[in-house]
Amino acid sequence: MLKSKTFVRKTRAGGVLKVVREHYLRDDIWCGSEACSECKQESTVLQEDAIIESSLCPYPHYLVPDTNVVLHQIDVLEDPVIRNVIILQTVLQEVRHRSAPVYKRLKDMIQAKEKYFYTFTNEHHRETYIEREQGESANDRNDRAIRVAVKWYSQHLKTESNTDGLKVVLLTNDQGNKEKAEENGLVVYKFDEYVKNLTANPELVDRLALSNDEKAEITSSKVLFPEHLPLSKIQSGIKSGTFLQGTFRASRDNYLEATVFVQGEGEDTTEVLIQGLQNLNRAVHQDVVAVQLLPRSEWVSPSAVVLQDDGAAKDDDVDDEEEKALRISAAEAARKPTGKVVGVIKRNWRPFCGMLNLSQIKESTRHLFTPADRRIPRIRIETRQASTLAGQRIMVAIDGWPKNSRYPNGHFVRSLGSAGEKGTEEEVLLLEHDVPHQAFSQNVLSFLPKMPWGITPEDMVKRRDLRHLTVCSVDPPGCTDIDDALHCRELENGNLEVGVHIADVSHFIRPGNALDKEAANRGTTVYLCGKRIDMVPELLSSNLCSLRSNVERLAFSCIWEMNHKAEILKTHFTKSVINSKASLTYAEAQMRIDDTSKKDDITESLRGLNKLAKILKRKRIEKGALTLSSLEVRFHIDSETHDPIDLQTKELMETNSMVEEFMLLANVSVAQKIYDEFPDCALLRKHPAPPPSNYDILLKAAKSKNVEIHIDSAKALADSLDVAKVDGFSYFNTLLRILATRCMMQAVYFCSGMDSDFHHYGLASPIYTHFTSPIRRYADIIVHRLLAVSIGADITYPDLMDKHKQSALCNNLNYRHKMSQYAQRASVAFHTQLFFKNRGILNEEGFVLFVRKNAIIVLIPKFGLEGTVFFDSKDKAAPSLVFDEQGPTLKVEQTTFNIFDKVKVTISLDDSNIQHQKIRMALTEPVIPGVSVAAPDAEPQAKKTKLK
Amino acid sequence: MARVKVSEAEKVYILHGIRDDLRVDGRSCEDYRHMEVETDVVSNTDGSARVSLGHTAVLVGIKAEIGKPRPLVPDEGYLEFFVDCSANATPEFEGRGGEELGIELSNTLYRVFNNRSSVDLKSLCISAGEHCWVLYVDVLLLQCDGNLYDAISVAIKAALFNTKIPRVHMSSDEEGGKEVELSDDPFDCVRLNVESVPCIVTLCKVGHRHVVDATLQEKACSVASLIIAVTHRGTVTCAKKMGGGSLDPESIFEMTEVRQTTRNDLGFLCVYDVSLVQAGKRVGKALHAPLMKLLQQEESLGKKRQKVGFLG
Repeated sequence: MLKSKTFVRKTRAGGVLKVVREHYLRDDIWCGSEACSECKQESTVLQEDAIIESSLCPYPHYLVPDTNVVLHQIDVLEDPVIRNVIILQTVLQEVRHRSAPVYKRLKDMIQAKEKYFYTFTNEHHRETYIEREQGESANDRNDRAIRVAVKWYSQHLKTESNTDGLKVVLLTNDQGNKEKAEENGLVVYKFDEYVKNLTANPELVDRLALSNDEKAEITSSKVLFPEHLPLSKIQSGIKSGTFLQGTFRASRDNYLEATVFVQGEGEDTTEVLIQGLQNLNRAVHQDVVAVQLLPRSEWVSPSAVVLQDDGAAKDDDVDDEEEKALRISAAEAARKPTGKVVGVIKRNWRPFCGMLNLSQIKESTRHLFTPADRRIPRIRIETRQASTLAGQRIMVAIDGWPKNSRYPNGHFVRSLGSAGEKGTEEEVLLLEHDVPHQAFSQNVLSFLPKMPWGITPEDMVKRRDLRHLTVCSVDPPGCTDIDDALHCRELENGNLEVGVHIADVSHFIRPGNALDKEAANRGTTVYLCGKRIDMVPELLSSNLCSLRSNVERLAFSCIWEMNHKAEILKTHFTKSVINSKASLTYAEAQMRIDDTSKKDDITESLRGLNKLAKILKRKRIEKGALTLSSLEVRFHIDSETHDPIDLQTKELMETNSMVEEFMLLANVSVAQKIYDEFPDCALLRKHPAPPPSNYDILLKAAKSKNVEIHIDSAKALADSLDVAKVDGFSYFNTLLRILATRCMMQAVYFCSGMDSDFHHYGLASPIYTHFTSPIRRYADIIVHRLLAVSIGADITYPDLMDKHKQSALCNNLNYRHKMSQYAQRASVAFHTQLFFKNRGILNEEGFVLFVRKNAIIVLIPKFGLEGTVFFDSKDKAAPSLVFDEQGPTLKVEQTTFNIFDKVKVTISLDDSNIQHQKIRMALTEPVIPGVSVAAPDAEPQAKKTKLK
Repeated sequence: MARVKVSEAEKVYILHGIRDDLRVDGRSCEDYRHMEVETDVVSNTDGSARVSLGHTAVLVGIKAEIGKPRPLVPDEGYLEFFVDCSANATPEFEGRGGEELGIELSNTLYRVFNNRSSVDLKSLCISAGEHCWVLYVDVLLLQCDGNLYDAISVAIKAALFNTKIPRVHMSSDEEGGKEVELSDDPFDCVRLNVESVPCIVTLCKVGHRHVVDATLQEKACSVASLIIAVTHRGTVTCAKKMGGGSLDPESIFEMTEVRQTTRNDLGFLCVYDVSLVQAGKRVGKALHAPLMKLLQQEESLGKKRQKVGFLG
């Protein structure tokens, strides 16, 4: 049966358009219940004995949540207890329209077999479709559609002979809807009412989001904040320029201060300062807000005061005082544009990690929650399990921030485990760095190849058979996701053939499917200490794509013909099949090369590669490529407790640089090829030259040791770094390189059609991309696809050629890449803490890396650890400090600190704040009375005794 | 326009019949053929109607769009007409064959309907001088069997009756910028008052008498015809003479009698045959009441009505 849906809509030009869509009603939409014999369905989703233990509904029942229940109570719905739920199409569509993240979570639940969630397409069912009536709002219509569908279900299931009281329960939080449903004779409960009566799972109650009437109870009637403007007013205000739209960034150090970044024309952004609770007006970090500039006379400058919001005890008067303190501190000069938040355009709330502050009143169920991220305000939550949650890391979601509440209201989502435990902290750092780390959903896994997998004749059509070649891979020990392998052999004409074979991931991940989308979202594999968060499911990353030895694997090969001077004569790209003869570690490969008695094919191949790599490296350095340095540490992890038992800096061998050299070569060759083929949409990687001011610290530091550094070009910098040496200070050069690394810009992915500057500063290459690690980087997959299209081995698809889409993808990849690095660093820092926790207090030698106004930053080469030694502290009088910016030097009492000075420090773990544990360093040498501490003996108490 | 060939003998037969107030198909001189009206037949228009008169069939669709008012009348909306002479109606319209007729028809329709005494143009104004509704009236000829004007005018009246214009209001911000805002309820719409929308009556002079709703054969016997637009009160809003022959003014007395009742509108009509005008008024007036009744009846059926559509 055909119906037409009619609606009017405003066009962009300001006109009004009537749209008519055809809408087909069917009578072959089945109910999905196991108990039904009437519907001719092939398989059922809903169980016949659908029992959730509940004192309200002791009979088997299916749940039908309405849209608001799904939107607000998704945390509860996700609990494994909640099963046999009918999601109506009306609800699904509304959820999709209102919140993309909730929609995704709902879809994942529907996919999960053990949840027994069934989608009923009531909008296309002949008996449950309803048309909007005169005078009915869209929401009312949807509510009615839900009621009609529930009614249909309860009648449909009742007529069955085999039912034993199977009922359908409508869950809604809307009083009006509930009353109407009761009139229609439906079983209907409020969601919290239903959850509170689940006999088996009382803890679910904590996860309930607060509904409106409850919120009113919590907060005093006093209005603390100005009302937010409605969206329509905000929009017209932004159009007319009275308001500015921007992203709200709360200050890390001062809870009463924030900055709004307003995106102007093109690249430039302006910053608007927001100060004071009233002006911040309930905006939370990362929200998109509308701000209004204050008159120039009320502009202030950012204060240097560190203010932490610390307490439930505090009332509003204290806030006022603190705000006053803020005002006074604002100097007359250096005022910045200041504004106030008038409305929130888009909330960017996510579940936050943190810990609970127990309320002082013992029986209270309302507590404040302190997020780990200092930029997020405290959140008021209600829980009955406060005593168990104390000392645990928990996740809390914000439900809303009423204008009469000092803090936002939220609800408990889940516990991550005890604070300080390894698993918990790892989870926290993944969550806080926005690293998607959930298990892959069924939908994603469904696109994996079926096992057992083998190479079929169709696979061979566009591939070269390279199985006979002596290919081998060289990787760090313990590596299971091998994405590159190499070979080298002598040709009959005396030239060398060198091949770089990269795992053909794009063969398995087809564009646009769920697997591809998931990988594109994750962007990169994240390596933590002792843990890997895969970008693609393990079957691909560690098995089918991994180029392990003695198995046949699909590869994308880049084959050069070179002469013995490592000059490229021919470049050839092809999809291929290889059979790696050996998976070596760097050390093993090194040993083979060095062992002159070995004469087998693999070793000969490695020697050839090594010889060429050395020439390549020399050429590259001649061109001005930088060799920079950063200390990377490796933990020896105890195999049973998974605690770090030792720590060493990574060693670099010749073979490391051998593999690296050929990867660089392959990347450059591929970059050139895809750019030639697709000048508009090649995905490339660039590394901009840093502005000269970045080098200030490096120049000053070098000068203090009478060494000259040239920064006119990469080449000049590389050369001057090479010759920089100080007698009797062998570590100087490394330190200098570490400093130079800090001056660099971040390398980024970009789309060639959107940018004109392609240069890679660090590698001194005019063009560069990432091709060699498709298992762990999504950018490489795109590059593989582009290359495959250009050699005719694969077909293209629209998004690949769309430079705007690709540019958006690059932004995500850059963001994920950055976050994964932060997560990695945080993981190293955490393991370092664990390491020192077990060690007690250590005494180590280090170098001053930076000099600050009140502190020096010390690098301990042995651990690759950096720490700050403060000279002023809260509880005792500060020693006299004289800071000279020109040096930069810091004079503490009689001792002057320069960059690169050798010092001795004690290292210990400061766990006074369990949320933010940190490594504390204290000076032992040079000895400064009243500042330095004694070198520890075996006794830890020695720390306390100060030298007089 | 579609023409038929009629032999001399046939002409005499038709002529004599009309003289005796008996036409070939049994009607008297002022009778219409069977007429069918159906509204709301095209879902993606704002108002539509289908009218068949004998074998003549026309379809009218009205689309409302937001436009700028004409500078001379800043507080009024306006109508635009387009007549599509489909080659379905008659093979003569093939190619550009129907173009001339189409232009002639749309110009006449524009003259008849686009004035403030026919349609309440003020109600189409959204904000004076800036935004108004423009009604695009599209007429599609599906079949030609004479008397196009009458059929089209009835269809336009029915379609205007059926037209639902979404309700909008202007929102203005502090800067004075104005923007159209749309109600989100699809049922929230404005209806036009079509009471004073005129119907066109075509009178064909055949011999010394006149007929309404002439068939193609009768038309072939006629030397000239008069088109008059008549409102439900009997007011003549427009008149136009078609055809090559002349119409002579009859008795002066009859004219003065007419003048007493409607002196204003007849001042410009004195050159025409007064009896023709009178007949037209009579017929036109009689046409309105049943048409309105019918339309209201149809409307009251609401969504339950089984649609016939133009294919049925």
